[in-house]
Amino acid sequence: MSYLHISLPRLLLSVGLIAVAVALSRRSRLGLEGDLIWGALRGAAQLVAIGYVLLLLFDHEHPAWVGLLLAVMLIAAGATSARRVEHGPPRSVLFPRAIAAIGAGALVALVPVFVAVVPLHPWYEARYVVPISGMMLSNAMNVVALVFERIFASASSEADQIEALLALGATPRQALEGQVRATLRAALLPTINGLLTVGLVALPGMMTGQIVSGTAPEQAVRYQIVILYQLVAVAAVAGLVAVAFARRLLFTARAQLVLPRARPAICRRGGARLRGGGARRIGDASLDPAP
Amino acid sequence: MSATLEGRELVVLREGRRIVDGASILVRPGEAVAIQGASGSGKSTLARALATLIETDAGTVLLDGQDAREIAPTQFRTRVAFLAQLPAMFGGTVRDNLRAGPALHGKSLGDADARELMFAVGLDPSILAREARTLSGGERQRVALARALANPSEVLLLDEPTAALDPDAGERIVALLRTLCGRGLSIVMVTHVEAHARALGGTRYRCERGRLSVDA
Repeated sequence: MSYLHISLPRLLLSVGLIAVAVALSRRSRLGLEGDLIWGALRGAAQLVAIGYVLLLLFDHEHPAWVGLLLAVMLIAAGATSARRVEHGPPRSVLFPRAIAAIGAGALVALVPVFVAVVPLHPWYEARYVVPISGMMLSNAMNVVALVFERIFASASSEADQIEALLALGATPRQALEGQVRATLRAALLPTINGLLTVGLVALPGMMTGQIVSGTAPEQAVRYQIVILYQLVAVAAVAGLVAVAFARRLLFTARAQLVLPRARPAICRRGGARLRGGGARRIGDASLDPAP
Repeated sequence: MSATLEGRELVVLREGRRIVDGASILVRPGEAVAIQGASGSGKSTLARALATLIETDAGTVLLDGQDAREIAPTQFRTRVAFLAQLPAMFGGTVRDNLRAGPALHGKSLGDADARELMFAVGLDPSILAREARTLSGGERQRVALARALANPSEVLLLDEPTAALDPDAGERIVALLRTLCGRGLSIVMVTHVEAHARALGGTRYRCERGRLSVDA
C-alpha cells in the first residue's frame, strides 16, 4: 500500500484553517474564538492519543484491552450526550440512561455485522472493532443528545397540551406521542440525509480513508454501505431507547407529568452548570392564576 | 351518570411549603361546588390533586368511595374531567378536538353526537369545522367543556374557567355549568370571583393557605 505521508510541518499548515475560523469569529463578534482554539487543540490531542493507544492495542491485541477501550469510548459518549441537555433532569440522572441507550444501539448495529457480514478472526480484532464501534457510538451519542434535548424541551413548552390529553384519559405514551414523533424525526434526519446524499455530496470518512490508504474502491464502497446501514440501525435503536427513558422520567407511575426544573441560563455555559435541579410539577410556576 | 368525588385530608408540599394543607371536600352526585380563594391560596393545586394530575403527599382522593389509587388513571380521568384556566386546543378542527377523548379509548364520535355536544355547550355546530386554535377564550372554554363531555364524564373540575374571559362571557360560562349540573353532572369550579362562586348556586368552599372551609 502506498499513500502520501503528511509531515509534521505540513500538518501544522492545516492549523491555518482554524485560524480562518477564529478570524471570522472575531470579525463577526461571535465570541467563539476560545471554543474554536480549545476544540482544535483538544481534538488534535485526542486523535494523537488514540493513535498511540491503537498502536499499543494492535501490538498487544487482547479482548480485555479492546473491551476497556470500548468501555472508555461508551462512557465518554454517554457523558457527552448527557452534558448538554438544558431542559432535562440533572446529568447524574441522564448519564446512566444515555449509556444504556447508546450501548443498546451500538450492540444492535455491531454484533450482527461482526458475526455475519464482516466476520472477525479473532472476534476482537482491534483494527475493525475499534474504528467501526467508534463510528456507531458517535452516531448514537448525537442521536441520544438530540432526543434528550428535544423531548424535554418540547414536553416543557407543550406541557398544557400533554396535560390536557392526560386529563382526557390518555396514557403517558398517548399524551407524549406527538412530541416523540417530532423528536425522533429530528434525531434521525441527519442519518437519513446522510443516506440520501452519500456519494453525491460527500464521500464518507471511512471510505475516503480506505481509498487513500490503498484499498480497492469497490471494497471500500462495500464497507461504507455496511457502515451506513449500521448507522441507521444505531440511530433508530438508540433514539427509541432514549425516548423510552425520557418518558419514564417525565411521568410518575400514576401518569402524572413531572417536568425537570429549568436551569438558569447563566449556569448553562461550559462545564459550570448547576447541579441538581430536581423536578417541577405542572402548575408550580404559578400556583393560582392572577386575578 | 354522576359520581361522588371526595378529597380527604389532602396535603401537597412544594419545597417544604404546604400548598394544600389537609383539605377535605365532598362533591355529591349532581352537586355544584365552588372553591373560592385569592391568588396563591392553593385552590388550583387542590383542583389538580382532585383530578389526580399531581401527586399528593398525604390524603386520599375517592371516587364513589373507591380510592383513586385503585382506579387506573385513564379510567379515573375519563370519569373525572379537568379543565385548565386556558384549555389547550389540539391541532386541527373543533371536530378533531371533540374526537380526541373517545379516540384515546378506541372509540369514535359521530357527527350527530358532535353537533349535540355543540348545542349542549351553547355553540353553533358550524364551529365544528373551524381551526380550534383560532377560537376566542370563551369559545375555547366551551369547546374544552364539550371535549370533556365527549368522554363519559361524571364530574367536571374547572380551574378558573372565567378568569380569562370578559364579565359577560364569564357569566355565560357559569350559567352553562349550572345547566350541566341540572342534567346530573357534578361540578367543581375553582374561582377567585365571588360573584361567579355565588352564581354557581351550590356549596361554596373558601381556600386559604391551602386549607378549606365551608363558606357561610
